[in-house]
Amino acid sequence: MLPDDPEDLDPGLARERTMLAWVRTGIAFAAVGAVMLRKQPVVGLIVLAITPVIWVLGRVASQQIGPKPHARQLLLITVMVTLVAALAVVVALVGHAPASLRELLSRMGV
Amino acid sequence: MSGLNGQGAGGGVTSSRNGHDDHDPGPSDAGTEPDARFTLANERTFLAWNRTALALVVAGLGIAQVLPPFPGVPWGRHVLGVPLIVLGAAVSVVAYREWQRNQAALRHSTPLPRSALPQILAGTITGLAVLAAVVLLVSAVR
Repeated sequence: MLPDDPEDLDPGLARERTMLAWVRTGIAFAAVGAVMLRKQPVVGLIVLAITPVIWVLGRVASQQIGPKPHARQLLLITVMVTLVAALAVVVALVGHAPASLRELLSRMGV
Repeated sequence: MSGLNGQGAGGGVTSSRNGHDDHDPGPSDAGTEPDARFTLANERTFLAWNRTALALVVAGLGIAQVLPPFPGVPWGRHVLGVPLIVLGAAVSVVAYREWQRNQAALRHSTPLPRSALPQILAGTITGLAVLAAVVLLVSAVR
């Protein structure tokens, strides 16, 4: 049963503000993906695919009632930002777009 | 004014000092659980830094890929864009470490450590602004 005032359940709406911060972070990933999509469709799609993951992470994190901080989820964010930055450096240095995922991987030396 | 989990600040220092296990408990487990609002605020700060990091990545990418090349300075776009992207990665990693340190400080009710991120950000952006001016001047002279 929900109390009449949402402040009773969530003082300062801290939980809701945090959930919205997760959503904004997901949107930021989408923005990076959209910019990459212009020149590098494959990389752009990879980065865009991160957006729903962040969204779900935020949902899960904000619904956890327990006191445990979300070290794993936050570390995942840092890993993803670092990964996106690494992709961005490759994209910035490679120049024109690879036509396929295979061409991209061969350029990256995989 | 009660916290979400009913535990206020205070008392965290004694519980960690009197603990008698020899191995150092991880920073996430030592001390007392702080007010959930502080934990959530720390988490929001971390997420805000990561959005800043993503903005730096997208700015660097835009400079390197979307901007037309500087006349006479073929390396100009890369020399400005790539450091911005690297700065974004660095901000994200440092933000995670500061989140860990802040959470440990909250658990032990000690003062929050000073953040290195404003210095890193301001220093690198200042350097890049100077570099951008140099690129523009070289481009204008040639």
